[in-house]
Amino acid sequence: MHKAALEGWLSGAAGAPVEILSMARLSGGAIQQNWGVEATLGGAPQRWVLRTDNAATLAVSRGRAEEFALLRAAHAAGVTVAEPLFCCADADVAGAPFFVMRRVPGTASGHALAKAAAARGGNPALAAAHGRELARIHRIRPPREDLAFLGSNDFIAEMRARLDAAGTPRPALEWGLRFMERNAPPALPPVLLHRDFRSGNVMVEGDTITAVLDWEFSGWGDPYEDLGWFTARCWRFGQDGLEAGGIGSLADFLAGYAAEAGWAPDPARVRFWQLGATIRWAVIAADQALRHISGQERSLELALTGHMVPALEWEVLEMTDAGTP
Amino acid sequence: MPERPDAADLLATARALLLESLLPALPRERQIEARMVARAMEIAARMGPPSATVLEGATAMIRAGHADPGQPAHAPLLAAIREELRARCAVSDPRAIKKDTP
Repeated sequence: MHKAALEGWLSGAAGAPVEILSMARLSGGAIQQNWGVEATLGGAPQRWVLRTDNAATLAVSRGRAEEFALLRAAHAAGVTVAEPLFCCADADVAGAPFFVMRRVPGTASGHALAKAAAARGGNPALAAAHGRELARIHRIRPPREDLAFLGSNDFIAEMRARLDAAGTPRPALEWGLRFMERNAPPALPPVLLHRDFRSGNVMVEGDTITAVLDWEFSGWGDPYEDLGWFTARCWRFGQDGLEAGGIGSLADFLAGYAAEAGWAPDPARVRFWQLGATIRWAVIAADQALRHISGQERSLELALTGHMVPALEWEVLEMTDAGTP
Repeated sequence: MPERPDAADLLATARALLLESLLPALPRERQIEARMVARAMEIAARMGPPSATVLEGATAMIRAGHADPGQPAHAPLLAAIREELRARCAVSDPRAIKKDTP
């Protein structure tokens, strides 16, 4: 990355001279890169994160502009996110499109949070805080010109299409999807779904949420889908008794949601969507294993993820009327 | 017949060496990788010949509602799905079916 070109572009975007003091790669996989940037803006010190794609992954380069638009919409709606600052669609400046957001403190480890919460018999305040964040996200409703790129999802049709594309028949997941189709309450009017709102994708410092991360799966849909995802057993990180993400009780989480949303979700319907969450995670896990099997990305972690699928399928059956009597 | 010890024995012995001897010598941040290797060996050691259960056409039947409650295919298909799944869980994650072992 050319420091001078980047400084020039950032100065133009910010309307004041930007000097980059240091840049260090933070994390990221084969596709995204995150850089911690220490800079000054008109002489004032700044801590930023620059998020970009590897130059080779051109197919997803449009993704950064969309992610920036989502962060702006979320930030404007009062969701706790890293404040998005500048977005550059010109691949010549840094090798690929990128955006810059403010750096926030905290960590995002589902296991560590669940362990800490369990040690004190649950963390009602943090569970409620997650509920409030999700309700703020759900306040964003279509139509939105700035989010016109988002699709709306028909959950069951999408899962069936992904199962067909993967090519391995999974009758237990089919059983679960058919059960959902037969028993689904009418969908609520669509809202912005995060679609990966779970412990581990939310930065936390102490008992405070500092940023909701990972917006790449967002779309319009029934708010219960997100509520089910956060509370499903697969995202409790070993603390099954703490239904809200391994952090607290379902009641605490939903009370936080209700306080912000102005309506109280029905716990039975949340549990119905925990079934949807388990099906979807099984579908995603099977797809991740396929990336290893096909040779697209050889990885022991992906390979082992595939071996999580049978237990998830078993859980799906148990959650339907096929459950062991 | 191949020379003994067999695959399951080799994997179990190698896994014990990995977990009991090598893992404690690794820096903490690399131990997760050793645990993943051990997990892969554990699963591989449980793998036998593929199960004989065939669930041909189950997807289409279920989607069309032909296995819904009240349909004649409901109970037999569910039993077949369970049997096939139990066999896969027994390899990938036996804890999943522990409370359901017949």
